[in-house]
Amino acid sequence: MSDIQLYLLEVDKDKQEAKNIAVQSGVKLRNRQLKLIDLITSLQEYINDKDDAAIRAKSVAYLADVLENVPSKVLSGQERRLLSDFILGRIEGDLEGIGHSARALIALEAQGKWDAETAKTVARTFVDYANPLKQFKLQTDRYATIQLFDILLSKYRTPLKELHDADPEFMAAFVALFEGEKDPRNLMLVFSILQVPMTEWDIHAHAQDLFDAVFNYFPVTFKPPPDDPYGITAQDLKDRLRDCIAATSDFAAFSIPALLDKLDSSSMNTKRDVLQAIQACVVGYTPNTINQYSVPLWDALKFEILNVQENDLAEASLQALALIAAKFAENEGRLNTFLGTIIKECNEHLEDAPTKQSQAAGLILHAVAGSAPTVADKIAKGVLPKLFTLHNSSESLAKRRGLLEIFNEIAKAYVGLTLAAPSTNIDTFQESAAEALQATLRAVQRAPKSEVSLRLTAVEGLAFLLAIPRLLTQDQTYQVVDAMTDVILHETIQGHGDIRPQSIQALGEMAHTCPAAIRDRAIPAFMAELPDAPDGNYAFSPVLEAFAQLSAEQQVFDTVVRRLKNKLGAAKHQNASASYQRALLLATLYAFTYGTPVRDEDGVIKSSYYTEYAEPLIRDLHEAASVTPNMQDTAEIVGRICNIILRPQGVHFQNTIHNQHMFWTAPTEGHADMAAPYLESIAPLSLYYYAALRPEVVEPTEILSLLKTLTSEATNEKSDGPRLHLILRHLSLLINKYINPKTLQPTLEAAGIKLDTLLSSPTATPTSTSLAFTTLKALLIQGRSPALTTTYLQALLALLSDPTASIAQRFPALLAEDDILIKENHCLVSGLYKQRTFNQTVPLLIAAVQQASSDPQIKQNHLIALSGILKWLPYSMLQPSLSALVPPLLQTLDLPAPDAKAPALTIFESVLMHEPSLVAEHTASLITRLLNSTTTTAATNTTPGQTSVTAANVASVRAKALQCLTLVPRQLKRETVVPYRRQVVKKLMFCLDDGKREVRAEAVRCRKAWLGLDEEEEDDD
Amino acid sequence: MEVDNKDNANPTILNPSDLPSRRQTKLATDKPAGLFDSLLPVHPLPVDHSSLSSDDEEDREEIDEQEVYDLISSISDPEHPLSLGSLGVITLGDIAIAAPSSPRSRISTVTVLLTPTTSACSLTTVIGLGVKVRLLQALPPRFRVDVRIKEGTSQTADEVNKQLADKERVAAAMENRSLVQVVNTMLATCE
Repeated sequence: MSDIQLYLLEVDKDKQEAKNIAVQSGVKLRNRQLKLIDLITSLQEYINDKDDAAIRAKSVAYLADVLENVPSKVLSGQERRLLSDFILGRIEGDLEGIGHSARALIALEAQGKWDAETAKTVARTFVDYANPLKQFKLQTDRYATIQLFDILLSKYRTPLKELHDADPEFMAAFVALFEGEKDPRNLMLVFSILQVPMTEWDIHAHAQDLFDAVFNYFPVTFKPPPDDPYGITAQDLKDRLRDCIAATSDFAAFSIPALLDKLDSSSMNTKRDVLQAIQACVVGYTPNTINQYSVPLWDALKFEILNVQENDLAEASLQALALIAAKFAENEGRLNTFLGTIIKECNEHLEDAPTKQSQAAGLILHAVAGSAPTVADKIAKGVLPKLFTLHNSSESLAKRRGLLEIFNEIAKAYVGLTLAAPSTNIDTFQESAAEALQATLRAVQRAPKSEVSLRLTAVEGLAFLLAIPRLLTQDQTYQVVDAMTDVILHETIQGHGDIRPQSIQALGEMAHTCPAAIRDRAIPAFMAELPDAPDGNYAFSPVLEAFAQLSAEQQVFDTVVRRLKNKLGAAKHQNASASYQRALLLATLYAFTYGTPVRDEDGVIKSSYYTEYAEPLIRDLHEAASVTPNMQDTAEIVGRICNIILRPQGVHFQNTIHNQHMFWTAPTEGHADMAAPYLESIAPLSLYYYAALRPEVVEPTEILSLLKTLTSEATNEKSDGPRLHLILRHLSLLINKYINPKTLQPTLEAAGIKLDTLLSSPTATPTSTSLAFTTLKALLIQGRSPALTTTYLQALLALLSDPTASIAQRFPALLAEDDILIKENHCLVSGLYKQRTFNQTVPLLIAAVQQASSDPQIKQNHLIALSGILKWLPYSMLQPSLSALVPPLLQTLDLPAPDAKAPALTIFESVLMHEPSLVAEHTASLITRLLNSTTTTAATNTTPGQTSVTAANVASVRAKALQCLTLVPRQLKRETVVPYRRQVVKKLMFCLDDGKREVRAEAVRCRKAWLGLDEEEEDDD
Repeated sequence: MEVDNKDNANPTILNPSDLPSRRQTKLATDKPAGLFDSLLPVHPLPVDHSSLSSDDEEDREEIDEQEVYDLISSISDPEHPLSLGSLGVITLGDIAIAAPSSPRSRISTVTVLLTPTTSACSLTTVIGLGVKVRLLQALPPRFRVDVRIKEGTSQTADEVNKQLADKERVAAAMENRSLVQVVNTMLATCE
C-alpha cells in the first residue's frame, strides 16, 4: 500500500499515527526511496476524486503533513515551485482542504523564500478564489489561510503593495476575504494583517471599507471561555482593534464621528473603550486631521468631565484632551484655536466658582497645561489674570477658595513640567506669581481660622509655588516658609480650624524643594520657640513633633538631629524637666526611626551617627544612672537609638565599639553603693545593645556569664512584672542568637536553665513558668533544635490537663510579635516556625478539647491555649484545618475569657469572608453565639445541653462580633439565614444603644445588612 | 447629548474639609495620641488582662448631634451622586437632640431640619423620607425621630412636613416598591 492509502486509512482514527505516516514519507523523500513525482502521482486518484470531497481534503492534508515534516534542503527550488503551482492550481478548481493547502504553502515558504511573483500569485489566488473565508466553516481552515496572509504581510509587503497599486479593485476583495470572521484567534491575526495596509499603503479610496472591516467589531464584548488554551483576552483584541482604528488619518472622517456616537452609549465599558480609542487616534492621526475634529472632540470630552459618571471615564477624557493639546503644541495657530475655546469656557466657570463645574474646569486646565510648556504658557496667559481679578474683587471666601483651587491646578501642572524639564520657561506664570503669593499668604495669615478649606487650599498652593524652581525670589520664599512655620508654631486651635497637620506636611515638601530656606528660616524659628528649660505649663510636644517630622527630608536631616542634640545638651545644663528631656530624646529616636539619615554607598546608615549621637547619649546615661536610680525609661530610648544605628554596621565597626564599650557595664567609681540600682537602670540599654550586635562580635564566655547572671536574676525575681519581663526578653535574645544549637542543652544547664524541671512540676512558680515559656519561644523561632523543642512543647501541653495549673493564658506569648527576636537584630528566625508550632500543637489541642468534655476546667484550658496559638497565625495556615477548628472555636465564644474570644472572632470573620460554606452547617449556633458576644450584660447561654453564664464582653469583642454578624447575611445562602432575620434585627436594637460609639456604628451596619434581606425577598416575588 | 433636566444641575458643593466631623470636633481635653507614642510600644506582660480590660466600659459615649449627622450626611442625593452633607441639605446646626421631657420618660427626640438645594426641589419629600427611614433603622427605639423642612427653604414645606410627620403615610410610602428602591439607592452610600 502506498503511504497515501495508509494515511487515508488512519487519518480519521488516529491523527498521530497518520502524522507518523507523513513523517515517514518525508524521510523516504530525503533518502531518495521515494521520488516527489511518484508521491504526487500516487495522490492523483484521491486528490481528484470527483465523488468524495472529504477524500480530496484529506489528500491535501497528507501533502501538507508531508511538506511540514520533510527535512529542509530535500526539495529543490524547482520542485518547490512546481509544488506551489500545483497547490495553487488546485485551489482555482477545488476549494476542498483550503486550510491544508495554506499549510502546505506555509511549509514550502519556510523551506525557501518566495520571489515577488510567487508571493503575488499566492495572495491573488486566495483573494480571487477563496473569497470570502467565512464560507469555510472550519476554524482551522480559516486559521491556516489567515496565517498564510500574516506571513505574506510580514515578509512580502512590497509585492503585495504592488498588487494594490496595480489593481484598484484588489483592496475591496482583500478586505472582503476576511469579512465576517468571528473566531478570536483568527481575529487577532486579521487585525494585525489589516493594520499593514492601513499604516503603509495609500488606501485613501478604500478608507471606509477598511475602517468598517475593523470597526464592525467595536466595542469588543468577547468573554474568553474558562478553559481557553490560547489565552486570548478581550483586552488583547481591544488593543489590536484600537491600533487599527488609529492606524491612519484617512479613517478620521469615519472613526471620529462613529466613536463620538458610541460615547453616548449607556454602557460604561463601551465608553471606556471609546475613550481609549480616541486617545489612540489623537496619538496616531496627523495634527492636521485632529485639528479638523478638535471642536466636536472638545464638546464630547468636556461633557464627560463636567458630568462625571465614573471617575476613570473623566480621567480618560482629561487625558485625551491633554493628548490633543500636546499634538498641537508645536503649531501656534492650531493651539490658539483649540485653547481659545477651552480658556473661554473655563473662564466662564470661574465666574460662579466654587461649583461642580468650576472644579471640573480646574481639572481640565491642569490636564491640558501639563501636556507641554507652550500649552501651559497659553493657559497661564489666558486664565490667571482673569482668575486673580475675580479673586481680588470678590468678598466671598468660598469663591476665593474655589478660584485658588483652580490656580493650584495650573500651578500643579507647572510643578510637573519643571520636574520633567527644569529649564521649562515659566515667564508667563511668573507674571502672576506675586499676585498668587499675595492671595495665598493672605488666606493663610488673615482668613478666619474657621475657613478650613480656604486655608488648606492656600497651604497647598504655597507648597506648589515653592516647588517651581526660579519662580519666587529669596525674600518671597522666606515669606512662604515663615508663614508655614508660623502656623505650625503658633496656632493652637483644637478641632475644627486646625490646619497644622497639613502645614507640617507642606513644610516637609518645602524642605525637599527648598532645603536651604528651611535651614535658614524654619529651623531657627523652631529652635527659638523651644526653650532650653520650659516652665511647667509650656506645651512643647506639638512643636517638637512637628520639628521631628522635618527629618523625613534627607537634605535637612543632619541639621534636625544636630539641633535636637544641642537642645538636649542645653536642657540638661539648665536642669530642664525630665519630661522635656525625654521628649527631646524621643524626637531624636523618631528622626532615626522614621527620618531619612544619610547612608553610605552600601545603603547602611552612616556609622559616624553612632559616634556623634549614640555614644554621647550612652555616656550621659551612664553618668546619670550612677547617681540616680530608676533611669530605665531613658535607658530604653537611648538603647533604641543605639540599636537602630548600630545593628546594620559591619563586624569591624561593631568589634571596635564592643571593645571600647564595656565601661557602662558597671557604675562609675565612687558609687559602689549604686551597683544594683545602676544595673537595673541600664538593663534596657543592655538589651537593645546586645540586640544590635552581630553574633560573631561577642565571645561565648561573655554570653555564658551574661546568661548566668540573667537566669539567677530571673529566678530571684518575686513578681511577674515588667522587670522580670525585661530580663526574660534579654534571655530569649541570647538563647536565640548566641548559643550554638549543638551545645544548646549543656549551655542552658550551665547557665542554670533546667527546662525539664521547669516543665515537669505543675506547682511551678510564675517566674519559673515564665522562664520556661521564654526559652521555648527563643528555640521555636530559631528552629535549629527541633527534637528538643518538640519535647518541651509536649511537656507544656501536658500541663494543660492539670486543672490546677494556670498556664493556658500564657500561650499567646509563645508566638506573640516580638521586636527583639527579628532578623534585623541578627537573630535566627526560621521561616517555618509558625507552621511547625501549628503542626505540633493545634491537632493535639483540638483532640484534647473533644476528649475533655467531662472536665470543664481542662476543656477551658485547652480552648484558651488553642486560641492563644491561633491568634498569631496567618489565615492561610489555618485554612486546611478549618473544618476541624470551627467546633472548638464556637465553644471558645462561650468562655468567660475575652482574650480568647477576640482571636476566635477574627478567624470567624475571615472564614465568613473566604469560605462561608464551612460555617453554614453551624449557622444557628454561630448566630446565637455572635449575638451573645454583642451584649454588655452577662448573658445566660442557652446552647442545648449546657447552660453557662458568659462574662460581659468588652467593646472590641462586641464590635468584632457585630462585624462577623454583618457578614452572615451577605456570605451565607439566603434561605439559611432568613429564618433568623426577625430575631437578629430585634436583638440588634439593643446594640444600637451600646455605650460605645464604635460598637453602635457596627450595629448600624449590621442591622442594615440584615434588614436588607427583606428587600431581596420582595424582589424575588 | 443628554439634556439636563435636573432641578439644580450645578449645585454648590461644600468642601469635605469644611464638613463637621468627630475628629475635628474632638474635645481639647481628650489626650491626642502623640506622634512619639508608637516609638516605645508597651510590651504586654506574659499574663496580661489589662489589654482587654473593661475599665474603659464605664464612661458611656452618649449619642449626640454629630453621631446623628454622621448617620445621615452620607445619604446620597437622588439626583446627584453627592452626599446630603456635601450639598448642605443636612447641617450639624440643624440637628437637635432633646432630652426626655420628664425624669420618668426615656424618650428623647431627634429633630432634623432639611435645607433643599433649591426652593422648588421636587424631590424634597423623598429626601425627607430617606432621612427618616435611615434614622428609624439606626437609632435605638428610645428616640423619637422628627424630620422637617427648614422654614422658608421650600415652597412645599408644609405639605412635605405633614407627610413626614404622619406615621401611616410614611409606612404606606415604604410599601411602594419604586419609592423603596429610590430610598435604598440613597441609603446605599451609607456605611
